[in-house]
Amino acid sequence: MSLAWRLLKAAVSSLWAFRSYAALMMIGLIIGIASLTVIHQIGQGAQQAVSSRMASMGFGADAFYISSGGGRLGVRRGMKRAVTLTPQDAASISRVDGVAHVVPHKNVARTQVTAGGNNTNTRVRGATPGWAAARKWPLLQGRFVSLTDIRQSARVAVLGTTVVRELFGEANPVGRRLRIGRTPFIVVGVLESKGSSGWRDRDDIILVPLSTATKRLSRDDKLSGMRVTMTDATRLEEVKAEVTSVLRENHSLLPGVPDDFLIITPDELMKLITRQSRSLVAMLTFVSAVSLFVSGVVIMNIMLVAVSERAYEIGVRRAVGARRRDILYQILMESLMVAAAGGVCGLLMGLLLSYLATWLLAIPTAFSPSGFLWALGFSAGVGLLFGVAPAKKAAGLHPVEALR
Amino acid sequence: MIKLKGITKTYYRGKVETPVLLGIDLHVRPGEFLAIMGPSGSGKSTLLHILGLLDRPTGGSYRLDGSEVSDLSDDELARLRNDKLGFVFQAFHLLPKSTALDNVLLPFTYAGHFPEDARERARRALGRVGLEHRLHHRPGEMSGGECQRVAIARALVNDPEVIFADEPTGNLDQRSSLEIISILQGLHAEGRTIVLVTHDTAVGCMCRRLMRVVYGNVDSDEAVAEPTQAIEQLQTLKEAAK
Ligand SMILES: Nc1ncnc2c1ncn2[C@@H]1O[C@H](COP(=O)(O)OP(=O)(O)O)[C@@H](O)[C@H]1O
Ligand SMILES: [Mg+2]
Repeated sequence: MSLAWRLLKAAVSSLWAFRSYAALMMIGLIIGIASLTVIHQIGQGAQQAVSSRMASMGFGADAFYISSGGGRLGVRRGMKRAVTLTPQDAASISRVDGVAHVVPHKNVARTQVTAGGNNTNTRVRGATPGWAAARKWPLLQGRFVSLTDIRQSARVAVLGTTVVRELFGEANPVGRRLRIGRTPFIVVGVLESKGSSGWRDRDDIILVPLSTATKRLSRDDKLSGMRVTMTDATRLEEVKAEVTSVLRENHSLLPGVPDDFLIITPDELMKLITRQSRSLVAMLTFVSAVSLFVSGVVIMNIMLVAVSERAYEIGVRRAVGARRRDILYQILMESLMVAAAGGVCGLLMGLLLSYLATWLLAIPTAFSPSGFLWALGFSAGVGLLFGVAPAKKAAGLHPVEALR
Repeated sequence: MIKLKGITKTYYRGKVETPVLLGIDLHVRPGEFLAIMGPSGSGKSTLLHILGLLDRPTGGSYRLDGSEVSDLSDDELARLRNDKLGFVFQAFHLLPKSTALDNVLLPFTYAGHFPEDARERARRALGRVGLEHRLHHRPGEMSGGECQRVAIARALVNDPEVIFADEPTGNLDQRSSLEIISILQGLHAEGRTIVLVTHDTAVGCMCRRLMRVVYGNVDSDEAVAEPTQAIEQLQTLKEAAK
């Protein structure tokens, strides 16, 4: 115990004695480990942001989403998707066995909105009364779109808090007037704030009755998508198959023609995003592994030089009774400690940087246990691997030659 | 204690052979104070390295306490160096970044286990060479004579059977040299065995037995009739300075 302690102390004190070397050795490692840590923290943050967003969209296991336009999840171009779903589709799907509710919506292109002297540009979406409940999105003030609104295609609007702030400041907007494009509306409610989900401000939205969106704000009655809730989550595959055949029939798609709609289950979406962020993290991990390898080579070379400079010290130790392996362990211990110190510094720097990334750039990050382990494993590995050659060189020195 | 028979040493550098020791016979008995003298390049250091188990001879037999040393592994030699031998070098060979106390503690680091009274023993060894007031000084903060005394304390701390000294006064002024030799004479008076290498006749005459090595052979080996007492010379020197 006392001997191990002395060896540790000896390693620390010789590192201190050679601190300029040690610092040089640590720089590359610190950068490598810091970037590794940041990468993992961002990867972890992205996943958490996605899962919390999906949860806040009310995407439980008993629901899925049908989107207009065909293609495959993850490889669709989001811009110019054909809008293919219709109100009749929504009606047919709600009659499918196992379907509890269908909540359709229609996205209107981003529109200029004005109230009094203020204006802003925001997303406008046509929705049905079930929309807010399906997303577990409570109201802050007033009411949501009602069935009467739908029937009358009423010009009423429910605002997200960002829009409220832009147009009305701190004042209560319920009952006030605004214009979406040229069409006048009355504000009937305000949604609670959901905050941003990393890449998008979710409170930057105006909801109007679905029928108002189709009849007054755009020239067609097509739907952007619909959320389907099932009576029983275990029947997902069966319901999906039935919905697919109903939609293909409604759209008169011949066999062999691909779907012009896309069914997205939360499970698939989650998997896709996880896979994407995983492969990104894996790639960047590889990049930092390469930089860590390079820093390992730097460490090795500096230590080799240091060993020749310290030949005399090694000779002294051998003269007073150090065995070859005592010298071997000493140098290995030193390289391990340099690497560990570099690893810890890099880790702290990575944590600091990801905190700054969240704070200044609003990039979501979260503590990543795997990143933590990679960082420690990598630095210890680099220390051991690249300490071997210098340690062997030191241990191989002949005591008399070393003392010369 | 130490018995050399026909020890030879040849250095090989590529194809160049340098025979340095041509067949040394030597018997060192416990309590002896032996000086090995000879001109520069005559192989004194080479011989001392072999005696001190820092190097292996090319041929011949070396028995330490009755057992043949050439059969031992490197690790066993290291163990013996730690256990039974102490070294004092011309250039002190202290760890420059360590304090006097830590330098003296160094042999314990490799002693297999670190004795509980190690610090106490190191302090006592430094006291023995008159450096109780320099425990926490580093080599750079001490004079050459003080550094060499730290080196003697380090050689002494593990209570060795033999102390080897290679030109211990080679880098020192006259006064420091006399101080070092008087310490060694004191250690010898306490019963320690000392083997010292020097090319300085004055130093050689302060030992009890003098062996001359010339061209790798033992030229002469005899007792010193009346060894000079370093402490007396030191007194004379001090008086002359006044
Ligand atoms: N590693 C070596 N390789 C070749 N020759 C050496 C080596 N070490 C010492 N020598 C030679 O051996 C001779 C004796 O050296 P050394 O024992 O140091 O002499 P001394 O200590 O008596 O001055 C010298 O001629 C020296 O050049
Ligand atoms: Mg010499």
